[in-house]
Amino acid sequence: MKRLFSTSIVALLVLAGSASSALAHKVIASGYAAGDKIEGEVGFSNGDPAINTTISITAPDGRTLGEVQTNAEGLFTFTPTEAVPHIFRGDLGAGHVAEFRMEVSELPRALQGGTAGAAPAPTASTASGPAVTASPDAAALQAMIAQAVRDEMRPLKHEIAAYKEHNSLQTILGGIGYILGLVGISFYWLAHQRLKKQPPQ
Amino acid sequence: MHIVDGALSSAVVIGGAVLTVGGLALGVRSLTLEKLPAAGILSATFFVASLIHVPIGPSSVHLIMNGLAGLVLGWSAFPALFVGLLLQAVFFGFGGLTVLGVNTLNIALPAVLIGLVCQQGIRHANPRIAALWGALAGSGAIALTTLCVAVALVLSGQEFIPAAKLVFLSHIPIMVIEGLVCAAAVYLIRRVNPTVFASLEGHPA
Repeated sequence: MKRLFSTSIVALLVLAGSASSALAHKVIASGYAAGDKIEGEVGFSNGDPAINTTISITAPDGRTLGEVQTNAEGLFTFTPTEAVPHIFRGDLGAGHVAEFRMEVSELPRALQGGTAGAAPAPTASTASGPAVTASPDAAALQAMIAQAVRDEMRPLKHEIAAYKEHNSLQTILGGIGYILGLVGISFYWLAHQRLKKQPPQ
Repeated sequence: MHIVDGALSSAVVIGGAVLTVGGLALGVRSLTLEKLPAAGILSATFFVASLIHVPIGPSSVHLIMNGLAGLVLGWSAFPALFVGLLLQAVFFGFGGLTVLGVNTLNIALPAVLIGLVCQQGIRHANPRIAALWGALAGSGAIALTTLCVAVALVLSGQEFIPAAKLVFLSHIPIMVIEGLVCAAAVYLIRRVNPTVFASLEGHPA
């Protein structure tokens, strides 16, 4: 038995080296507007990023809007061109599919302003949009501030995502409690059945 | 191991649900008063086992423990594992409610099959040989589960060989661990209370 055990341990270590794929149950995907682009992140709930995964972007009516690849950190950027809800979908293999949807209100602001259905002529926005086009300096400053805020927020976003994945002891105990309760109910039911079959003398 | 919502075609989801309802019906019928405590404990074991992540190399894997459930419960593994999966889906978001049928089938059917195959083996007079059968049950159930997952993915339009390979290879560490755990469990049961397996079989519904 001892020898069997030690050989099994060796085999286990050898095999462990060959297992490379991430094996988390949950896939986390999210996206947010960043300037005139959409930045997104895809990864597993244990923190592993989804590397070199193809993310396809479709409109609600099924049209393909584009396709992007995630980088080594599981991040991708996509430049939206239409003011329709975007559905991002990535297949991570082995039954792991990441899918999330961004409504029009979540898209980059530049896109929300002008387009209502038909694609706008490029000149239209400059002619009719004094609010959008301020001086180039102000626009650059705004972009810088947005970038800085995004950079500051990133660790926070990670933390919140990790926190959401955290399974508290209460939840686990609650689950076990449910199982105990179900067993109790089944016990009652089965005992009831048995008593009906053989009434007590 | 838990297939998530949206990964499968609706035909596969519905098919899995129908087959699972059948399995549940059979399982509930064979669930007797004597088996019920064991079913509850194994259901809880399965529920908690998936939370225990074993870090292996660059990734981590979690236990499933369906082989042991199949050995002890037979068809009653269906309701036991179904309850565990349902609670995991609701509480932790593992898998999802629409794919619950397919996930139950993928995990419980191998358990039942393995239970049928290894039933005689774990009753072998020599507890060590019985433990070897237990190891076979533990890792065999995982292997069959990966196969079922691959089939579900293929029926939804993925290529079989890459899908099966990915799922199978990534679960090799779990097969080894569950084989050891299951062997230890069978060995312990045979040493401490050899009547467990027999007493659970003695009262078919």
